[in-house]
Amino acid sequence: MGSINAFSRSTRWRVGAIGLTVGLVALSAACSSGSGSTSAVSGSSKQTITFAESGLGTEGAQTQKAINAFEAANPNIKVNVQVLSSDSTTYLSQLEHDFISGSTTPDVFESDVTYPAKFAQAGWVLSLAQFNPNMSQFFPHEVAAGTYNGTDYAVPWFDNPEGLFYRTDLIKTPPTSPAQVVSDAEAALKTDKQLKEGIAFEADKYEGAITAFLTVDSAFGGSLDPENVNTPGNVAALNWLHAAIYTEHIAPTAVTGWQEGQVEQEFVSGYAAFAINYPFVESLATAAPVKGHVGYIPFPAGPGGTPGSALGGEMLAINAKTAHAQAAWKLIEYLTSAPVEIARAIATGDPPSLPSAYTSQLYSAAPYFAAVKTLNSYSAARPVNPNYLAVSADLQTLFSSVYANSASNAAQQAFASNAATIKSAANATPAG
Amino acid sequence: MATEAKTVAGRPARAGRPVPVGHARETSDRRLGYMLVAPVLVLLLAITAYPLIYNIWNSFHFDNLSYGNLPHSWVGFKNFGNVFGSSLWRAALERTLIFTVVTIVFDVVVALALALMLHRKFRGRGFLRAAVLVPWAVPTVVSALLWKTMFDPRAGFVDYFLGAFNGSWGNISWLGASVWRSWIAIFVADSWKNVPFVAIILLAGLQVIPNDVYEAAKMDGASWWQAFRRITLPMLKPAISVALIFRTLQALLVFDVIYIMTGGGPGNSTETLSFLSYQTFIVNTDFGTGGAQSIMLVILALAVSAVYVRTFRTENT
Repeated sequence: MGSINAFSRSTRWRVGAIGLTVGLVALSAACSSGSGSTSAVSGSSKQTITFAESGLGTEGAQTQKAINAFEAANPNIKVNVQVLSSDSTTYLSQLEHDFISGSTTPDVFESDVTYPAKFAQAGWVLSLAQFNPNMSQFFPHEVAAGTYNGTDYAVPWFDNPEGLFYRTDLIKTPPTSPAQVVSDAEAALKTDKQLKEGIAFEADKYEGAITAFLTVDSAFGGSLDPENVNTPGNVAALNWLHAAIYTEHIAPTAVTGWQEGQVEQEFVSGYAAFAINYPFVESLATAAPVKGHVGYIPFPAGPGGTPGSALGGEMLAINAKTAHAQAAWKLIEYLTSAPVEIARAIATGDPPSLPSAYTSQLYSAAPYFAAVKTLNSYSAARPVNPNYLAVSADLQTLFSSVYANSASNAAQQAFASNAATIKSAANATPAG
Repeated sequence: MATEAKTVAGRPARAGRPVPVGHARETSDRRLGYMLVAPVLVLLLAITAYPLIYNIWNSFHFDNLSYGNLPHSWVGFKNFGNVFGSSLWRAALERTLIFTVVTIVFDVVVALALALMLHRKFRGRGFLRAAVLVPWAVPTVVSALLWKTMFDPRAGFVDYFLGAFNGSWGNISWLGASVWRSWIAIFVADSWKNVPFVAIILLAGLQVIPNDVYEAAKMDGASWWQAFRRITLPMLKPAISVALIFRTLQALLVFDVIYIMTGGGPGNSTETLSFLSYQTFIVNTDFGTGGAQSIMLVILALAVSAVYVRTFRTENT
């Protein structure tokens, strides 16, 4: 009190005015957007670009290694790596916040295969037409995931096919039909008492439930077209997964809470004869009884179906507001070149998006990539739709409700009663 | 008291208007005070009032970020109409209200028993009072993840514990495989965290009830039950009302424990109003409809609070 009163009247006013000014400046700084000049910078000028990615651990380290090599080859371009969340939902939100605020950064970013259509519709990503990209060099299904209204918006970076793992010591020849998966699983459960389930798959209410379903879907002649999901093939595929839990009892009800991490744990711990999962499981099967006994195949086709696999993976895209489009494109070209993709595959297990990268060099370092390439030729993409997140939420609800319902017609009823909702979500427009 | 006019800071006092000693300095100090708190006030307004007003504004506009190029046009009450017309929202409202009623009744009853126990004198009471608060101090996300693991049929202790009584109970899938079991798991996780909070509020209420009231009742021959009903409960009314308001608002807004444990499943059987708002805001990036949903949730919360305040208003207030 005394010290305050010791100030003169004018000093007090000044202190107060400074406080108010500081507050207003802080507020205006907090409220200002990150947008800046969008005047284009030539690819040959000295410049710094920002690359947003979600990679941590070996993936992050490998990206940094590739970027160091890119900077050495392009001394005029410096790349700042912005590591965003490894959680896909948070990662998407972080990107959206940048785009909504009109930020010019990140200039180039990693994108899940399900994002490009949404970003393109919102006008957040740059059309790649100006760069005349050679998209025919990549696996076509992943190229399709980055295409919206006939225009390419994202380049495949790595291509992660989900497929069927099996224990080669328990199942001597790979199954050739869905029915044989069941009989092999039952036989394996009788043979190996350490097994806890015949098959493990993701059935928790999350995105992975959709990719697990897609892995088996085409084997029954199904396809995940939001315009009409109520098809005999889709019903048969979901029925098979449902029956694995409630009729055949080769999968525990616990799968209804499992995501890919739990599925991987069950398989590499030697508790599951089969598992639906991504290629990364192969590199984790390093201990008995699984070590050296891992087979990886597309889900075997039933009558009228084709072998099944679901497309996962990441793409690279450019911010529509960037001032460094040419430099960003150079980085994309570099990261998606065959030698860089091969080095990444060997170091991290991320499967190349270029068929030409599946070379003897890659196979000698990691022989299982031969199987990965086979699966990549069967991969089914999730619907390419700007409203995919809403469609996905409805599909997750549908699958989750079926897995929690032991009635044998649960799948049939769920598809029949939700088809219209899913179609409506896929076609939702501002006017609608 | 002296009333003669004085000059302050060299300025003559107004003629005919007596100025109290130090009045001008007090005014000046007050102004300085306002200016010093102004930055904080501005920031608080920016992070509370501004979002609230902007949300109300959004709720009357088309504002879907997935259509970033479209104008945020005025749509009147259309967003509110869409929300009321949505069977998902009505079902979520029903679930939220049932969850709120069940959880607060359970929490208050259990917490009252706990508070009565902690109010008694016994060895280690101080330690137990502190220990009881631990679940409340754990962030909800952490406690939800803990309980999700505990209810896991492979890794959790719940099935392990139940399996000791009956072998067939040792492999129950709580989350994802059954609507009822999912809700039970959510209730357990939610109550584990919140019962201590209510208990501490009620314990504080018990401690201000004078002992001589109980002694007088005892001398009049009142039983324990009569003393509880006629003295404890009425005198606990203010504490109970505070606990109820806090817990009801928390329960109406429940999100994190459900997001972590079930993701709203199986199907959408555990989706609540806040979960639906999350889906609309974050997943669908529809800030117009999301704004309408959240405004209705705020109105619901305010209405419930008003009912509580009116119900528990004492004669003194």
